[in-house]
Amino acid sequence: MNYDHSVTDRFAGQVKIVSEHRQALEEHFDRILSEYWAAISRLAFSYETVASVREELVQEIALAIWLALAQFRGQCSERTFVYRIAHNRGLSHVWRRRPAHQPLEELEESDEPVDPRPHPEELVERADQRVRLMSAIQSLPVTQRQLIVLMLEGLSHAEMAEVMGITENNVAVRLNRARKTLKDALGEK
Amino acid sequence: MTEDRELDAWREQWSSIAEASTDGQRKIQQRIKKQNQRYVIGNLMSAIMLAGFLLFALVMRHQSGWLGTGWATGICVLVFVSAAYRVWILRGTLHPETQTTRAFVELWHKRVLARIRLLQISIYVSLGWIILCTALTAANWTTIGQDVMAHPKDWVELLIACVLMQPVIWYWAVWLRRRKLAELNEVNIILDEMDD
Repeated sequence: MNYDHSVTDRFAGQVKIVSEHRQALEEHFDRILSEYWAAISRLAFSYETVASVREELVQEIALAIWLALAQFRGQCSERTFVYRIAHNRGLSHVWRRRPAHQPLEELEESDEPVDPRPHPEELVERADQRVRLMSAIQSLPVTQRQLIVLMLEGLSHAEMAEVMGITENNVAVRLNRARKTLKDALGEK
Repeated sequence: MTEDRELDAWREQWSSIAEASTDGQRKIQQRIKKQNQRYVIGNLMSAIMLAGFLLFALVMRHQSGWLGTGWATGICVLVFVSAAYRVWILRGTLHPETQTTRAFVELWHKRVLARIRLLQISIYVSLGWIILCTALTAANWTTIGQDVMAHPKDWVELLIACVLMQPVIWYWAVWLRRRKLAELNEVNIILDEMDD
């Protein structure tokens, strides 16, 4: 009888531990989402131009983060962890859904960002600049695109190296090249 | 200095890009819930199906003749392979997306190559299997022949099903191989970009 009691107690204890772990995981996931939601959304812009599909991509990235989160043991920073998953998902997405790049004129009206500032002319110009930048980024080769996005998100060279699996020196060289390509692409637009 | 101003301007434009819909986070929670449900239901269905197949094999085994034995053996092999595959999938806790981009692309490359090889091997194995079955049938024709004569309709049906299945499997294999080769080409381009 005592034995039975201890077994049920142990089982209840295990269930409690699992549910606590699960709750902690959910809280961690919610915090990551609220912290990186905007960054993930922007990153998805560089891999997908169609709004509905892009939303799907953002969800896929979030789902991949959730699935991998249980095994995250702090091998790298949380930021690196999120960007690695997001970019790798983006790469797979590019393969599954080609062509990833759409010409400027095909960009949907609904993709235009909403800017609350009052001057319409300035607003139009800014929106135009944004669309041009997005289109230029989308036209870059995937590895250059990835570096540019990481640079725009404000990651250091060391963090970029951690995300991509290359040396910091290599990051610097490639980034220079990517910036030049982006400038050329913007010049053409 | 010019470069920094340029970067600042890009960053400003970049940071003002519209975000995904605000109810996206709620949708993600729903997707996670659905994923968990699918996981449980998928495992349950697999267990039921495997048990059903084994039961069917048992019933067929008790039918006299070579055909019953053949069916039972085939189903048992199928159940074993399916169960092993399912366990393999469930064990697949590796998340390649968490690795660096280089490691992820290299792993992707290896996986695509492995799948192409597996596909080629499967085609050769299936051809070998057909030849083996034909040879075994020919060698044991005196015994099997009696069963064929006794139940000609069953054997003709089996033969027609096998013949009809061949082109379907063949076209599927060709389609899959072409797709995998295109994927390999894409991964090679990314790898070349990374090595450049």
